[in-house]
Amino acid sequence: MTCGKRFMLGNHAIAQGFLEAGVSVAMGYPGTPSSEIMEYLIEKGEELGVYAEWSSNEKVALEGAYGAAMTGARAIATMKHVGLNVGMDPLMSSAYTGVEGGLAIVTADDPGMWSSQNEQDNRWVGLHAYIPVLEPYDPANAKELARIAIEFSEKMRHPVLFRTVTRVSHTRGPVDVCDGKPPVFGKGIDRTKKRFALVPANARKLKAELVGRWAKIEEEVEELPVTVEEGDPGLLVITSGSAFAYVMDSIKELEVSPTVINLSVPVPVQRKKVLDLATKASKIVVIEEGDPVVETQVKAALFDEGIKVPVLGKSNFVPPVGELSLDITNSVLAGAMSIEAPHRRGVNLGYEPPQRPPVFCPGCPHAASYYELKLASTTSRVKPLFSGDIGCYSLGINSPFDEEDVLTDMGSSLGVGMGIHRGTNGKSFVVSIIGDSTFFHSGLPALASAIYNKTPLLLIVLDNRTTAMTGGQPNPTQAIPIEEAVRGLGVRNVYSMDPFNVREAVNTMRNAIDAVKRGEPAVVVSKRACALEAARKLRREGVEPLIYSVVEDACKACGICYNMIACPAIQPKDDGRAWIDPNSCVGCSVCAQVCPYDAIKPSGNLDWIKRWGEAL
Amino acid sequence: MNIYMIGVGGQGLITTSNLIGAAATSRGVKALTSETHGLSQRGGSVDVHVRLGDVNSPLIPLGGADLVIAFELLEAFRAAPYINENTKIIVNSRLIRPPTPRLRLPRAEELINKLGAIRNVKIIDAFNAAVKLGNPIVENMVLLGAAHAAGLSSAIDEGAIIEAIRSTMRMPELNVRAFEVGINLVNNY
Repeated sequence: MTCGKRFMLGNHAIAQGFLEAGVSVAMGYPGTPSSEIMEYLIEKGEELGVYAEWSSNEKVALEGAYGAAMTGARAIATMKHVGLNVGMDPLMSSAYTGVEGGLAIVTADDPGMWSSQNEQDNRWVGLHAYIPVLEPYDPANAKELARIAIEFSEKMRHPVLFRTVTRVSHTRGPVDVCDGKPPVFGKGIDRTKKRFALVPANARKLKAELVGRWAKIEEEVEELPVTVEEGDPGLLVITSGSAFAYVMDSIKELEVSPTVINLSVPVPVQRKKVLDLATKASKIVVIEEGDPVVETQVKAALFDEGIKVPVLGKSNFVPPVGELSLDITNSVLAGAMSIEAPHRRGVNLGYEPPQRPPVFCPGCPHAASYYELKLASTTSRVKPLFSGDIGCYSLGINSPFDEEDVLTDMGSSLGVGMGIHRGTNGKSFVVSIIGDSTFFHSGLPALASAIYNKTPLLLIVLDNRTTAMTGGQPNPTQAIPIEEAVRGLGVRNVYSMDPFNVREAVNTMRNAIDAVKRGEPAVVVSKRACALEAARKLRREGVEPLIYSVVEDACKACGICYNMIACPAIQPKDDGRAWIDPNSCVGCSVCAQVCPYDAIKPSGNLDWIKRWGEAL
Repeated sequence: MNIYMIGVGGQGLITTSNLIGAAATSRGVKALTSETHGLSQRGGSVDVHVRLGDVNSPLIPLGGADLVIAFELLEAFRAAPYINENTKIIVNSRLIRPPTPRLRLPRAEELINKLGAIRNVKIIDAFNAAVKLGNPIVENMVLLGAAHAAGLSSAIDEGAIIEAIRSTMRMPELNVRAFEVGINLVNNY
């Protein structure tokens, strides 16, 4: 076997670990900070013969990996933390049945909510579901632990959760990369045993087996790695995951030497290893990324053993909100030891810059759709309640669009939208806005419900041909025309529009609004490929580009282009006239269409827009 | 060594930090970089923490930057929490307007004067240097060169970075030239 050190993204290291463990089936749904794991497996797994796919949602991905593991294959499913909520149904069952091969479910948690609606700690799920959780502390460790996760799962014939966090997944560091193993596929399922058929009679028997297996798992996790840094036995610091990295740096900086134990298995805690050290300690500090999951179990273990020692942790001493940092571990350790923490806090540069929130990219078709929707609803004299969803188009919440009033979870634009309509006894005019990937993820069942229950609402599907938010992964829209799917479900009022044809798009939306006014559901599919993906593809193909510029004398400084479409490529000059940055413009033509003075002109080949329409 | 990089999504911060990481790794120097993903392509603020040497954790503590690379003039001010009196600071004089409608901003000269008053700050026009080289996209390599001359050289030699550029980037020679232009901008500052 040949190995070599490479500078590598944490997520790629995780994927590499699974390839080195002989994983044969990998399924996932994109979601920050998890997406690069599957991207790597799709790219690098191919030559090894690994089957890797983007599934339509996390439940489907988890079921796929679970089914493969039933046959004896080594399988994984990947998702972000909130994705595991979608996959909870098969997850709970997988603990009851166990698996024949290996099954690791990767959950990428997002403490600090860098790119998420919450910071749920999915290590709790392990306790809830009787599934052990493994947790790495840096990219190199992540690669090792991914391999161990599969091996442990196969040994116990039981699923495992592999919990990573943003600061492991999106940290790059040196990783020892070795050759991948040939993938291990399964043989099949023994039909005589019905082990995987959870009818109640079977399930009752399997619950008893599960409790027994869990006791065995509690013993066996003692064989999995812990890292112990010997020091003063009086102060025991227990860590899990990235907390270990921060604590090691804090100890060096504070020049202190407590005893530190890092647990690679936060659920169920490696109890014997902890208790051995705890009996010698007069104070215990538990530092972990997220909630007091390890702390709660440590306290229970101490109680069971009759050990009375103060335990500081997330429940009482470590900040419970947001992600850890070196500053936090410094002050926690210094506080626990009653010493001074280093006092640093930056400088004052005498100016507070304005916030720079993420915005729609230059040429983003979503921005055009939102502009058109605003125009259509105003001229149709409706005051919609905008029920939004998860994706780049969540940015429609910002000025000047202000067309996302509620957005909570994948697919909620339809479900919550229907609830708003019913909750106001039909008085709200609801516009549900969803992207293509989210539509196939969990919009379909909600739309079926709306049609069946005759809920009048306007659904706008912003079909940019890709899962753009997470980096442009493919999804079913590239194979299944959404209009056809919706017609097949029985919607009579189905409209297609191109957001880059402003006048027609506004008219189409007005027609759809009229249908909803008549009490019927209506669906508008606004189809145009993501500007980032399309421009990248067309440039690669050598298509002659198109950009727009402002004819200075013709511009009357009305501001419609930069204030209403808010394209980042268009900026106001000191005199209020518009200026288009030629390095940013991608030639969508929308500003030229909305300019009332015909002051924005193309240069290049207009064929660009047509090719863009066919790009994805 | 702690290097704090800040700028606007699309300016090539992650490419730059990857080069530093790859160059360090090739010389046996441990490197950890940590980036804010997700919405970073959408023109928002982006920062990358780069830590070199005997480190375990990926984030720079407050006041803990040895070197700051500000890819954009407004974003430079957001580095304040990481700066201490010895921090070397490279600032790109380019101002990218946040696309917030009806936003009022101070003039660039005012901002440059404020930063110029701080110790150890070098303000360079990396964007125009890149345009002069023929492609604004190499702005990030000009800044990397400037950072190298301002202190990164004590952790990684010039050759390692040039090797990393040549082995990972498209248009390697243009990028190497931009890197060298950046070095000269600081050496002749």
